Amino acid sequence: MFRFQTEQKIVNIAGVKIGGQPGELATVLAGTIFYPNHKIVEDESKGLFNKKKAEILINKQSSCADETGNPSMVHIFGSNEVGIKKYIDFVSEITEAPFLIDSTEARVRIEGVKHATEVGLADRAINNSINMGITDDEIEALTHSDVDASIVMGFNAMDSSLEGRIALLENGASVTEKGLLQIAEDSGISKILIDPSITPMGNGAGIALRMTLVAKAKWGFPAGSGIHNAPSSWNWLKNKKKENDLIFKACDVGSIGLQQMAAGDFILYGPIENASYVFPMAAMADIMIAEAVADFNVIPGEDHPINKLV
Amino acid sequence: MSDWPVVKGDYQVGNGKSRICVVTLASHFELASEYMKKVALIGPCHTENLGIEKIIANVVSNPNIRFILICGEESRGHMSGNTLRAIHANGIDGNGRIIGSEGAIPFIENISEAAVKRFQAQVQLIDRTGETDKGKILQIIEEYHNKGNVFSEPPMVVQAGKKKRKRERLEINGTGDVVISKDVSLDTSSGIIA
Repeated sequence: MFRFQTEQKIVNIAGVKIGGQPGELATVLAGTIFYPNHKIVEDESKGLFNKKKAEILINKQSSCADETGNPSMVHIFGSNEVGIKKYIDFVSEITEAPFLIDSTEARVRIEGVKHATEVGLADRAINNSINMGITDDEIEALTHSDVDASIVMGFNAMDSSLEGRIALLENGASVTEKGLLQIAEDSGISKILIDPSITPMGNGAGIALRMTLVAKAKWGFPAGSGIHNAPSSWNWLKNKKKENDLIFKACDVGSIGLQQMAAGDFILYGPIENASYVFPMAAMADIMIAEAVADFNVIPGEDHPINKLV
Repeated sequence: MSDWPVVKGDYQVGNGKSRICVVTLASHFELASEYMKKVALIGPCHTENLGIEKIIANVVSNPNIRFILICGEESRGHMSGNTLRAIHANGIDGNGRIIGSEGAIPFIENISEAAVKRFQAQVQLIDRTGETDKGKILQIIEEYHNKGNVFSEPPMVVQAGKKKRKRERLEINGTGDVVISKDVSLDTSSGIIA
């Protein structure tokens, strides 16, 4: 294992600490809820869902976090403005964990950020994400909101190489006027989480792992990803899933360890239903990493899995 | 056509001699085997960048394809249907941006302007965005699967992103013995990444 010469930043979002040197803090894990085709969603257009089932899922993730010492966040996905507000209100009542505001549509993310500010939840909210497609409206909404945490996405559709992704964050890579990191800071984002962007396997998924290391070495920001998207979008594996779901699950959950070994500080692990598989996997990797860096005088926190599970 | 489609993806391969392929955007349809014989490809296209690239690569490498049926629900935020129409109508600018697309990140990395122009010339789009009635989709397949002639030019070879990726010699500026990037390396004796 290794440590970074660059000082590693640690951000504190609603009491959850993310970042640091490998082995210092437990990996923070975010399960997604209300994602497309999520069975608990009853009427997407109205933001209606089965509250009992949603509560069970969120509480299950919290229990896993308590058991292993890996802090949790709730990754909220909304497809429209009505839904995202209802989802935020509900999640914030069930858990005190931070939550991510995510949508494929900018106007939904904007509404989520505005709503979190209006109802006093901005200090628990993480915008997902500032990316190369960011709109002026989004920048304005972030600037005028109280949300100060955001994922900054390294996806460069014009140049998916490591250099292309780094350039996008650093100087805009001729796509945006400024680098995305500068855009984030100008928009009032003081808690930057870098996501190197998991593209499909065959389109540079592995580059994201190397970029995690480089991003932490260059800037010291916490970094992590939704690495499960690589196995999830792998067509060969989809066919194997038809044979045996366990084959898919092994790859899906196992991918988390790859991101942890590449110094990932947080992981968006996909459907929140997978919490009971994901947390032990992440805890195991955290313990191994913490033991590997013990000589570097990295002292894991009291709640780190190495102090809770072995 | 034994090595077609040239780019793998989340779609079903039918008959490479058919004149039509079907892009179902954010929807998924399974076709009976009798209809799979009448389509070259059928499958979703969720993204306005990588997804569009795959469609173009597989179309221009098969001159038999002359029609693309766009159907199914639009991919929210990504607007892949809108983007497919935009690239067909307007092409790309000098930065690879698809002109007129309403998608969030409508950029092309691995497809040349020449391939885009070939795509525009080779196929007509049959725009039924939003159509999820399988019966109506099958009617269109029936109508177009053997309509018209093979495109007059030979297959255009478009390399997939992973094959095209440059393998440049890395200039190393770091001091460690394990290279991570040109200016970041790991010194294995001290375990320091700098």
